[in-house]
Parts: sequence; C-alpha cells; structure tokens
Amino acid sequence: MFNWLEGQQYLDTGFVGVLATLLVVASILFNIKRANKGAKNLFIRRIAGLNAIDDAIGRATEMGRPVLMVPGIGPLDAISVQAVNIFAQITKSAAQFSTPVRLCCASAAVYAYAQEVIRDVYTEQGMNDRFMPETVQFVSDQQFAFAAGVSGMIHREKVAATFLLGQFFAESLIFAETSNAVGAIQVAGSTQSTQTPFFIAACDYVLIGDEFYAASAYMTRDPVLVGSLVGQDWAKIFVAGVIMVGTLGLSAEMTQQTDTHREGNKMVPVSESTGGKATTEKKKAADTAVARVFRPYIPEEMTKDKFTREKKPVPEGAEEGGE
Amino acid sequence: MNLFPMMLGQVVEESFWKRLPGPALYGFLVLGLLFGIGLCFALSRVPSNMRRWVIVSFTFLAGLPYVAAYLWPIPVAADFQTEIPRNGVESVGFFLNQAMDPVGTITNIIQGFLLGVGFYSLVRIHLTKVKRKQENWGFSIVLLTCFVLMAGFGLRDWQIRTFMDDTGALNVRDNWTFVNYAQDFLFEGLYQQMDSAMFSMIAFFILSAAYRAFRVRSVEATVMMASALILMLNLMGALTFAQGSAINELAGNTNNLFLLNFKINTFADWLRSTMQIPAIRAIDFGVGLGALAMGLRLWLGLEKGGVT
Repeated sequence: MFNWLEGQQYLDTGFVGVLATLLVVASILFNIKRANKGAKNLFIRRIAGLNAIDDAIGRATEMGRPVLMVPGIGPLDAISVQAVNIFAQITKSAAQFSTPVRLCCASAAVYAYAQEVIRDVYTEQGMNDRFMPETVQFVSDQQFAFAAGVSGMIHREKVAATFLLGQFFAESLIFAETSNAVGAIQVAGSTQSTQTPFFIAACDYVLIGDEFYAASAYMTRDPVLVGSLVGQDWAKIFVAGVIMVGTLGLSAEMTQQTDTHREGNKMVPVSESTGGKATTEKKKAADTAVARVFRPYIPEEMTKDKFTREKKPVPEGAEEGGE
Repeated sequence: MNLFPMMLGQVVEESFWKRLPGPALYGFLVLGLLFGIGLCFALSRVPSNMRRWVIVSFTFLAGLPYVAAYLWPIPVAADFQTEIPRNGVESVGFFLNQAMDPVGTITNIIQGFLLGVGFYSLVRIHLTKVKRKQENWGFSIVLLTCFVLMAGFGLRDWQIRTFMDDTGALNVRDNWTFVNYAQDFLFEGLYQQMDSAMFSMIAFFILSAAYRAFRVRSVEATVMMASALILMLNLMGALTFAQGSAINELAGNTNNLFLLNFKINTFADWLRSTMQIPAIRAIDFGVGLGALAMGLRLWLGLEKGGVT
C-alpha cells in the first residue's frame, strides 16, 4: 500500500517543510487566478528605483549616449531571467526614443536568452534595423575579465545610465563606481544580500530584496505577475506569522519544567541522564515542540543501521573500492 | 557518465540512467542520436503559433523530475547506487533520485553548446570592429590575439601533460617545452596577475563609495555612518582593549554592571545580531519567495518572457 510516511522528508514533523512550500505555491497560484479573473483591489506600492527608469532613459536620449544593462554574472536561472525581463521593458522605452542600449552578459546561456528577448522587443517596435550585434554581447565568463570588459565599455562609450540587476558579487562596486565616474545614473538591484550595501553606498537608486522580483509586475501590470506578487505577499505574512507564533511558543515553552529531554535523536528521562540526581529540569530550546518542527526525530527503526535493503549483486571481476 | 571510477577498477552500478559500456550502451547512444535528430527536425517544422507550447512543454518536463523528487517519498536511509528498492514506491523514489545527476548533465551539455554561441558573439563583434577600423579597434586585435594564443597554447599544453607525459617529468620546470612556458606565461604570468589587479582595485572603489555614502546629508546617512564607525572601531584591537578595560574598571569602581553595555564590542555585537542579521534574513525571505514564484511561473509556462 502507498505510504507517504515511507519518505525521509515526511518522517515525524519533516512534512511541515513540504506543507509550507505547498501553501506558498497555493497562495501564489490562487492570486494569479484571482488577478486573471479581473480582481481590482491588487495594489503595488511605489518603488522609487523603477520610477527612475524613465528619467534615466530620458537623460540618455538627451545626451545621445547609450544605456548599459548588466544582468549579473550568475547562470541562466530565475534571477537572470527576471533581470532580462526588466531589461526588455527598459529596451522598449529606449527603443521608442531610438536610444542605443548595451546589454553585457557573463554567461553564454543568459546571452542567448537575452539576445532573443531584446531582438523580440525591437521587432515588436518595428525597429529591427536598430538591433546591432553589440546591442547584446557576451563579454567573458570570468568574473574580473567581465568586470574589466564592462568597465572599459562604460568609459569608452560614456554611458548615460547603468542598470545593474541580477546576481552580483565583488564586481558590483567596480561597475557602480566606474558608472559614477562617467556621470551615469545608476539603478541597481541584487539578490545577494552581501552586495546590496555596496549598491546602496554607490548607486543612485537600489531595488532591495524582492523589489527586484516585483519590478516586472510594477512595470507591466500584467495580471499574472501582479497576482503572483500578491501571492508572495500573502506568503510573507504567513512566514512572519509563523515566526511570531514560533518565538512566543518557544519562549513560553522554555519557562516550563520537563522530565524528559532531547539527546541526539530521541527523548530520554532527565533522571536517566543525570544519574538520578534530578527528575525534572527547565526545558531547553532543543526540548521544545517548536525545535522539533525544524529538527524532527527519525524513528530508530528507520535509521541507517536498522533499515536494511537487499544489496545489488556485485558484477564478476569487479573489485570493491578500487585503488 | 563519469568513467573515472570504472578506470580505477571501482564497482559502477548500472541503472536506467547509467549504462556500462556494451551493446546496450551503444544501442542507447544510437537511439539517442536518432531521437535528437528527429526532434530537431520536428521542432524546425513546428508552426510559429505552436512554438510557445513546445517551449512550455519542454520547460515543464525539465522541471518535473526535480518537483517529483521533492514531493515523492525519498526512500529512508537508502544507498541509491548499491541497494535494491523494497517496493514500488521505493522503486520510483530510487528512479527519481538517480535521475538527478543525468538531468543535471543534460543541462551542462546544453550550456556547453551555448558557450559556443557566446564565443561567436565575441569574435563577430571584434572582427567587425577591426574590419571597419571602428574606434579603439586596436583593443579588439589584442583581444582576438589573446583569444587565439590562450586557446592554442592551453589546448596543446593540456595535450602534452595528459597524453605525452607518462612519467610526470613535466612537474619539474626544467623539463618544460616552449609550449609549457608559453602557457604558463599567458595564464600565470599575465591572466592571473591582471585578475588580481582588477580585484584589488575594489579597495579603492570601496573608499570612494564610502566617502560619498557616509557624507552626512540625511538622517539615514547619519545612522549608516554611525553604525559603520562603531563596526570599524570594533575591528581595532588596541582601541577596543583600552576602551573595554576602562569600562571594566569604571564598572568595578562604581559597582554598576549596566556600564558594561557601553563597550564598543558589545555595541557592535548588538548592531550585528539585532539589526543586521534580522534585516538580512527578512531580505533573504523576500528574495527566496520571489525566486519560488518566478520559478513556478516559468515551470508552469505562466511567465511570458520579455514584453511579448
């Protein structure tokens, strides 16, 4: 008979993690559906960094200089796809004013994706001839070679606006300061919490944390994106609620006395571990129900030593372990 | 599949995803090749209005093993390589977990092809610059020359070291040939040095960014500067020792333990644990949820991509 509890991730309280993920997924999908049905009360607050995009493009148009966009140095994943989607909106605005754009990639996969998306934007605007090979270019997949290449481009082309959105590491400050040196407006946003302070220190506008993911919903007001954003907010409220309840629960539990406490993967009587000197003690964090949610017990019969399966037959002539 | 364990004489278990050399493997290779060619042909014939659905279907199929592996019960305390599943549920669990590596490998292979597309872009742009003698075309010649030299010497050096140096003689510098010296000069002598130089420039950029950020222009900038000052002072051992000792003495003399809170390192610890870490965690939660939503939209084909 099918038994979900045979799964390692469902043992004891382990299912809570899966359940929480499914709840988040459900809230996102539900809100997407709600938005698609035309829900009117879906509100997105003002995000200064995104309002600055039109100003930055306007400035570049007036100065007759290009707009530079960098989707970070990460691989092709949700972050770089989101960055390229934002750049597509920026390119759309820039194309309307015939302002040249430069999109520099450090990953060949991101380059291939970005090239398609940006070419589509120009096609949609009826400006196929404006899409040049240097509009989207692969520079290098080596971190500092990429940093050097992009910095050189910023200096040579004297870009008027720089958009640094995506996964950045040590090179973030090189881009931000080089752009500042040529007088460019910088709008930045990184999903790396270690790089956000550098951007805050060096750039004019910064998208902090999930504002980066809110950007395309903010700019397009597409129901799917707005609904997804509202779903994320519901999930955030859920997470914040769990943290509050967990903190209060843990604090309350730790004021209580207990006659059993946790040792490794099981609960043992206090008297046993103290050699009979004490029968109760104040609960420690590890003994609480809240801690158990995050560190579930694995029943002894399910541990490696007790859980046996047949071994596959070893092929004849093969040596176990090798040299 | 990684052949090194087999070359070392280790036991390599065969599974649906991992075949040992033999007729079955060659059969699979031929079938895979034919399937690939057929797929490319079929994809090129797909009408434009159907392409979106093709992409959505492939994206969904590519993500499905990961989602299934996350939700399907993972066999408890299992060694997926050497053990036999006990029942049907475990069989599916074994299959999904064994699939993770090959699915990752397929992604790597596609990335490998895309690297070629990236190089093509790089070479095309710089060749055009040289051909049209556009501004700064000299730099493009440097790039193309370095590109050819690094690739050429790097490949030859690898060939010599891997296939022609059975005795390991090339581990001693005296036995190096011109190719080895050239590769070493290009990689260690030039590339690594320039890489380090670029990295070290960050120190100067930090200084200039800090100068602009810490000018007292607003309440936020003042708070930021004060916090940064405390954290920087906390890193000065002599200062924290002297200030800490003075506070300890004062607290001892006045018998007022509350004064101990005014040590610089206590301030700095408080700032880190009470201000910085919760803020970072909150940001990380938001980013994580955003990534989940984005991944979900991509997987289910809800993300339209770009502006189209």
